[in-house]
Amino acid sequence: MSSRAPSIVTRLAAHALVYAVAASMLLPFLWMVSTALKTDLQALPREAAGESVTFLPPGWPWEWRWGNFADAARAVSLWDFYQNSLVAAALTTLVAGVHNALAGFALAKFRFRGQRAVFWLVMSTMMLPVQVSFIFAYIAAGRLGMVDNIQALVVPFAVSGFGIYSMKQAIATVPDSLLEAGRLDGMSDLELFWHVVRPIAWPTIAALGIFTFVASWNSFFWPLVVVDSVHSKTLPLAVAELSAGRYVQSWPVRMAAMTILTLPLIVVFVIFQRAFVRGVAMAAVKE
Amino acid sequence: MRGRSASPYLFLAFPVAILTVFTVGPTLLGLALGFFDWSGSGPARFVGLGNYRSLVHDSRFWPALRNTLVFVLLSVPPSVLAGFLLATIVQARWFVGRTLVRTALFLPTVVSIIAVGVVWRWLLDSAGGLLPRAIVGVGFERSPDFLQGGPIASWLPWLSWPMVSLIVIQVWRTAGYCMVLYLAALSGVNESLYEAAEVDGATRVGVLRNVTWPEVAPMTAFLMVTGVIGGLQVFDIVWAMTSATETDSTVTLNLYIFREFQQSRLGYSAAIGGVLFALTLVTTMLQLRVMRRNAA
Repeated sequence: MSSRAPSIVTRLAAHALVYAVAASMLLPFLWMVSTALKTDLQALPREAAGESVTFLPPGWPWEWRWGNFADAARAVSLWDFYQNSLVAAALTTLVAGVHNALAGFALAKFRFRGQRAVFWLVMSTMMLPVQVSFIFAYIAAGRLGMVDNIQALVVPFAVSGFGIYSMKQAIATVPDSLLEAGRLDGMSDLELFWHVVRPIAWPTIAALGIFTFVASWNSFFWPLVVVDSVHSKTLPLAVAELSAGRYVQSWPVRMAAMTILTLPLIVVFVIFQRAFVRGVAMAAVKE
Repeated sequence: MRGRSASPYLFLAFPVAILTVFTVGPTLLGLALGFFDWSGSGPARFVGLGNYRSLVHDSRFWPALRNTLVFVLLSVPPSVLAGFLLATIVQARWFVGRTLVRTALFLPTVVSIIAVGVVWRWLLDSAGGLLPRAIVGVGFERSPDFLQGGPIASWLPWLSWPMVSLIVIQVWRTAGYCMVLYLAALSGVNESLYEAAEVDGATRVGVLRNVTWPEVAPMTAFLMVTGVIGGLQVFDIVWAMTSATETDSTVTLNLYIFREFQQSRLGYSAAIGGVLFALTLVTTMLQLRVMRRNAA
């Protein structure tokens, strides 16, 4: 940012500082994975294993016990939880992607009665804390037959105020002349949305999609309220119980389960990180 | 498109229905419920301000409110400031490894805190955690109990060790997010401003304080406000770290709301929700005021 580069010492110190912070972000994950590969005895502090205390670094697994992952998958019906999380997150992303975009299109490119009211309804939902609404949202879900099933994890998030607002902002940049031209070609509004609006707004739709997926995948409070039985538990709920020692006692096996939970999301993030970061930044900068 | 058509209504019917049924409606009913006594079945009994009056004398509510405010005040400004400083370094032309650092720092934002919380708990646990062992290992007589301990000092009765742990983890978790957003804001700052400051002989720190910081003020306001709102509603991390060992020194508003809900004291739960709502509203109004001042 400055045309005068600082001295080499300053530059080195700055790099060291930032890399140290970055390492602190990575270490818990590395530790999780390395512990997941250890035997129970290795994972214990050495003192407990009858040796003197050596605490740091967490230590390399001497013999890699890949079996922990199999144990984890066996002990905890991880695959079921996985499926629930994946289905819920994918469905939410898909349904919300379509509806947020359509609602954003309506608000950005149409003039109609009640527009202001709808806009303020959408805006207001962004600042309403879920802790006030969850009791009656839970009751509403129950009335609609959506307790303790996947629908309960999807339908309440089928749109979001934040999503609609972001889409409205993005679609507002689509030139009206393009829409008029499409109109003259005899396109219906839905065709206009698909052939004109969608391609132009795609970066926002994609960024929002990743955002929605991660939020759904990690969501905890609402599933905790609305899910009771094992068959519709999502991964975070299972992990919370797992960490409390509900399914397995062995720490390496628990860590293996945590690894199975987090690794796919880390991979997805690393692949899509540009879109993801841009999406998050875009939403904030527009504020 | 100004033509009359049914399309906007069709496009908005479902979204408006969802927002009404699952957010706006339940919020209004939830606020109203704060004035009732209700167990979830049977008739609700109107108690007026009864629930709120009970809150005043509730020995659990005050710690929850205090812990929540302490959490917000001690976690939001440090992570915003850390994000700013990190961004100014990472954004410099001479910085090597920008993408790598950005990925690493953003990771905690993406990964479930429930899973990462387990690692943190293992790190901090008094029975065999790494940090307590390390502290004893380097010669201290005993380590503080990071997850269940009392106040960190007798003159700081409102700040317990578990709160310190939660705050540190929250800063750890959100600093990277702040950095990424500051990077976006910094890329929009006009280079000539820096050059002008240099011509005027400003020091590096002077440029940072008098040019960079004011230029990214809107982002700072955004991060502060969303950080405060998120912090007021904190739940996951508190649950992950302390749900097994919950005490008055770790309970937060949101956790207390959930506990009362579990006990079927829905009216009381809703009244605490009303307090949280008021705090959020005040924050939002401050945000609007700040944004208006920035726009002017």
